[in-house]
Amino acid sequence: MIRFSKLALVIGLSLFPLFLSAETDKTIKVGSKKFTESVILGEVITQHLQSNGLDAVHQDQLGGTRLLWKALLQGEIDLYPDYTGTIIHEILRAEANQSIPDLKDALAKQGIILADPLGFNNTYALGVTQATAEKYSLNKISDLFQYPELSFGFTNEFMDREDGWPSLRDHYGLPQSKVRGLDHDLAYKGLEAGSIDLIDLYSTDAEIDYYQLHVLKDDLHHFPDYHAVILYRQDLLIQHPSFESLINKLTHIFSDSLMTTMNSAVKIGGETEALIAQEFLSTQFNTNSKIETPGLSSRLLQSTREHLFLVLISLSAAILVAVPLGVLGARNPASGQIILGIVGIIQTIPSLALLVFMIPLLGIGGPPALVALFLYSLLPIVRNTLSGMADIPQDIRESALALGLPSLSRLKLIELPLATRSILAGIKTSAVINVGTATLGALIGAGGYGQAILTGIRLDDTALILEGAVPAALLALLVQSTFDLFERFFLSPGLKSTQESVS
Amino acid sequence: MIQLSHVSKRFGDQEVIHDLSLKIPQNETIVLIGPSGCGKSTLLRLMIGLLVPEEGKVSLFQQELTSENIESVRQKVGFVLQDGGLFPHLTAKQNTCLMAQFLGHETNWINSRLSELRDLTHLSDAVMDRYPNQLSGGQIQRVALMRALMLDPDILFLDEPLGALDPLHRVGLQEDMKTIFTQLKKTVVMVTHDMGEAASLADKIVLMREGRIVQFDTLTNLSTTPADPFVTTFINAQRKPWQHLEDQIK
Repeated sequence: MIRFSKLALVIGLSLFPLFLSAETDKTIKVGSKKFTESVILGEVITQHLQSNGLDAVHQDQLGGTRLLWKALLQGEIDLYPDYTGTIIHEILRAEANQSIPDLKDALAKQGIILADPLGFNNTYALGVTQATAEKYSLNKISDLFQYPELSFGFTNEFMDREDGWPSLRDHYGLPQSKVRGLDHDLAYKGLEAGSIDLIDLYSTDAEIDYYQLHVLKDDLHHFPDYHAVILYRQDLLIQHPSFESLINKLTHIFSDSLMTTMNSAVKIGGETEALIAQEFLSTQFNTNSKIETPGLSSRLLQSTREHLFLVLISLSAAILVAVPLGVLGARNPASGQIILGIVGIIQTIPSLALLVFMIPLLGIGGPPALVALFLYSLLPIVRNTLSGMADIPQDIRESALALGLPSLSRLKLIELPLATRSILAGIKTSAVINVGTATLGALIGAGGYGQAILTGIRLDDTALILEGAVPAALLALLVQSTFDLFERFFLSPGLKSTQESVS
Repeated sequence: MIQLSHVSKRFGDQEVIHDLSLKIPQNETIVLIGPSGCGKSTLLRLMIGLLVPEEGKVSLFQQELTSENIESVRQKVGFVLQDGGLFPHLTAKQNTCLMAQFLGHETNWINSRLSELRDLTHLSDAVMDRYPNQLSGGQIQRVALMRALMLDPDILFLDEPLGALDPLHRVGLQEDMKTIFTQLKKTVVMVTHDMGEAASLADKIVLMREGRIVQFDTLTNLSTTPADPFVTTFINAQRKPWQHLEDQIK
């Protein structure tokens, strides 16, 4: 067991340099949220900067507003597109209907520059199918008041935003109680299938046309304007004096219909965000930037590298910490209960929440994903180490004591070898869970197979979902059989079942 | 060699050893015997510090057992459990040599000691490479005996070493043990509930009842001058306790 821990450490450390990215501090990092419009805008900004000779990368599909805002403040990203309504309600938590100059002043105090609006307003709206609209004759939000039986499906962000469901409900005095939180891209499916009656929309969503949805009028003016804007760090101006004029070239050139068309080209037309952004920039500025669309094999290679990096490092670290914790717990049952309790509680923390907690400490990308995976890998290993040690029969313990072996030698020569099978089983469970959980790395810019899954869900692209899910499943199987082989070679024949060993 | 003075041991509310004093002389085979629950196994575990008494003192080799000296004292004694207590992940040979290797003895010394012990316990070389789950009950006890004797201990403790064996293997191992004890002239303390074993192996018998010593004497004295009617009852309750004497007379 101890030999194995050393092995894991050596493997982990020797692989580390392989995965270090080539990005330098000079690279401008553009962030985007995990919905199509944000990704398109992120792509437009990135390509625009690149075609003007700046070194820029796009960290796309990051977790949510709070995650991006914290990353921006920390300098983990340098700029990202957001919306005025979101800035007022989510970031500044200020009075509604502030003017753009007011917002600029407030953000400047935190070292962030707010550029002028891009030119379109993507506000929240509520939508129902044509059939539902006719059945209940729904035209405006206040019409909903008469039908408490309607069931609503909202994005999780909308469920608890300042300007989201709670204040909408209070503003209109809505009586509905069947309200569920779900992913925006799945909400359309639910609406189409009839399992929910009403969803929240972004007014530039491509699906409004595609599904022929009926948008309810905000007759009591609850939703503020959501003008798209770019937020960037002041210190960019020091490193790149031309930055302000570059960004300003992008302002006031979009329109609601243009953005809806671009969204539609990606979501319905199946084009990549990169291509749509490129076409837009070339019509707009007559530029001829080239975009590289990596092929399937290089995409897989990249995501495999990222995924293995996450799994190997976090699992090795978990083994090095969890086995000693389990031993400690087995030797001292009182502390064992406490250790199991703490590790169990960690397991229940939602992954996105854990990632958000860690941004101030670790930023975005690999480190927070590694720490989260490490924490989630502890429980099975600790528990199996503890039970493997506790299950050693009394007469074996007495034998070891009666020989006069000192405590540490008993652990090394007798107890750990006897608990090996149980410990290995715990590590195996952890490893398989870890491979699956590592897909959440994509939420925080650590890449891996989750990237393809996330994009696939967003674009309703089954092939893309499988591009992430199949390798992840294969990797889980590979990990499982590696540990089975390991058990075959390293487990003492005396601990295998009798039939096996007598032959 | 072994001395207990005014030792009491409780498990929770239940006192299993009551104010017990006992002095075990050197180079004799002493058998602790008594009905189930009389505290004989507890007494044995108190002697090697696997249990610590609530009251009283336990001394081995003229020194009181403490947490500081317990490991060095244990390296000078051997211990055999009812089921052998062999480590399942180690072969018979690895089990036997574990402590010698841990203490850094030379390979030559270990190998010659191993072959001496194999002759003594009548085990073949092939058996020594097997794991405990590939050994018979009798072989396991013989390996356990080898492991206990490996470092040539001054005292040998055995807790019902024949208890789990079928009658045929039991008789064979009992005879071998008798030879070994006589040859090696060690201080032996053995727990059993079988009067036949006690009669065959013991120089002196400690007869226990409910955590107290009823009589500590030779078998002859137990039968001719019993300290208590219980002694006679206990001896007579056993199957053919005189068998070995009759055999000797013949």
